[in-house]
Amino acid sequence: MEQEIEIMTEIKSETTQVVTPAVRGAIAMQLNNVAVAFHGRVAVRDCTFDVAKNRVTSLIGPSGSGKTTLLRALNRLHDLTPGAKVSGQISLEGTDIYRGNLTVTELRTRVGMVFQRPNPFPTMSIYDNVVSGLRFNGIKKKALLDESAEASLRSAALWDSVSSRLKVAASNLSGGEQQRLCIARALALDPEVLLMDEPTSALDPIATLHIEELMKTLKSRVTVVIVTHNMQQAARISDDCAFLLMGEDRAGELIEFDTTEKIFNNPDDSRTLDYTLGRFG
Amino acid sequence: MSVDQIPNAGLLEYEAVMVGDKPTVTSRTWYHWLLLTAVILFAAVSVGFVGTIFWSSFPTWAHHGFTLLTGKGWVSPDGPFGGLAMITGTLETSLIALVIAVIIGLGTAISIVFFIPRRFRTVVATLVELLAAIPSVVYGLWGLLVIAPWMEVTVNPWLNSWPFAKGIFGSPGQEFGTSLLLASVVLGIMILPTFVAISREVIAVVPQDLMEASLSLGATRWQMIRQVVLPTAKIGLLGATFLALARATGETVAVALVAGSVANAQFHLLYPGTSIAAWIATEFGESQGKEISALMALGVLLMLVNVCLALISRALVNRQRRILAKV
Repeated sequence: MEQEIEIMTEIKSETTQVVTPAVRGAIAMQLNNVAVAFHGRVAVRDCTFDVAKNRVTSLIGPSGSGKTTLLRALNRLHDLTPGAKVSGQISLEGTDIYRGNLTVTELRTRVGMVFQRPNPFPTMSIYDNVVSGLRFNGIKKKALLDESAEASLRSAALWDSVSSRLKVAASNLSGGEQQRLCIARALALDPEVLLMDEPTSALDPIATLHIEELMKTLKSRVTVVIVTHNMQQAARISDDCAFLLMGEDRAGELIEFDTTEKIFNNPDDSRTLDYTLGRFG
Repeated sequence: MSVDQIPNAGLLEYEAVMVGDKPTVTSRTWYHWLLLTAVILFAAVSVGFVGTIFWSSFPTWAHHGFTLLTGKGWVSPDGPFGGLAMITGTLETSLIALVIAVIIGLGTAISIVFFIPRRFRTVVATLVELLAAIPSVVYGLWGLLVIAPWMEVTVNPWLNSWPFAKGIFGSPGQEFGTSLLLASVVLGIMILPTFVAISREVIAVVPQDLMEASLSLGATRWQMIRQVVLPTAKIGLLGATFLALARATGETVAVALVAGSVANAQFHLLYPGTSIAAWIATEFGESQGKEISALMALGVLLMLVNVCLALISRALVNRQRRILAKV
């Protein structure tokens, strides 16, 4: 453990400039006192922080702290769950995503999602998977789809290995490739924000490394919000970090939000320090 | 590892693992012999059942051969016995019934899974499935007393107002209103619960995260259903279709009541006709000698077809399960 912490610090110390939340630049999404409840039972609450543009924001915390629940509120996936209620305010580029002038389908094309388990559509080919989002949104022109498919697969570092077999069923790919396909599928819509719910938890270490490398390159074009169980991963890849913890009444709450550098080296809250040092969780 | 993949370890394998290389059955008590007797009895009855039917039908296959499949007339009691009317009647009624059941049933199954509020979902699903428990003679009576008059007044004239309708449907106005079309409609309603029950299950097990993935790409609910859920469930839905078809081809009493029991090989759907199962039921009472054998031969045909349909259905539903296990 001692050694791991050292490594983490080492990685983070490569960042030359200490960036405080105040000077992080443009804001992609704003969360203001966000809470999610299911049938009146609060699952996560008190979440107020800004997701900065072109940075990777990680949500960390032990099981049950409401990380995934919070993430799913950001593209309104809770709309499907009977009894789910999201309160507070979440805005995308200044527009309230629940009450503002933004349809849910439009929101989801602007805020994409990658899931825990690689989940390409099993009945579709690699190509059809990548362009499925465009097709859902009414784009039929083949030239446009072809162009987007290639660009998205290149962005997901998958083009070289699949360009010769685009018509093959997506289920023939390995787990890591499938997850990259899911990333390409989300990127095809050119979203502003990409939500990732423990995207590497079902993958082997090598595939995990590939996805992490990918995230670092992706943030130049898309803002990433990632839920992770893996603290080292959060330290390696994220710029900002939100630490959530389950409260006394079993509802998750935001304990601290800051740059990853500060969360892992010099947090304000002692619970954050205990968690990042692996004293619990 | 899903439940399906867990090897079906019987008692003997278990003991073999526990004791050593060779299975050692330690105690053969009375229930061991009771179970063995039950199994042997069951096997004997099954073999005897299938065997006697094949045996009794043998004279017809030997003497008439394939004219049973292609012959047009059915003359009691000495023949010739032609099964074409029954075979075409079975095909026509079953396929039309299948079209009715698949269209209404798919809509019902999708609604139950996606559109009916959770509270009422179980109630609606149970009600639909209870329809399967209604005895078929009741469906037959209802078809004859309620649907037949309605079709005579409303549906048949409307059908005949189409161009070329006479060629397809024939003239309406048969006595009692019995017809192949009426049989198809009643059959369609009868096989609906089977189709809905299986297709609902097949649709309900499509993984949640596939649906969420499509919604996260900006799909509407309807696009999600049409482009992700139904294609993913396609093989299982085909299995449901085959099982519904097996129900339709095997249905007897209701068809016997509403089809009209006329052994005419024709395609005019508003004329009376019959199916293999219905013909066996209506003719058996008065048959003797050669005719019994001919009816048995029809029975063999029906049995083989239905066993095949049921096997295909089962294979498809299993394949769907394996596909989803991999997803």
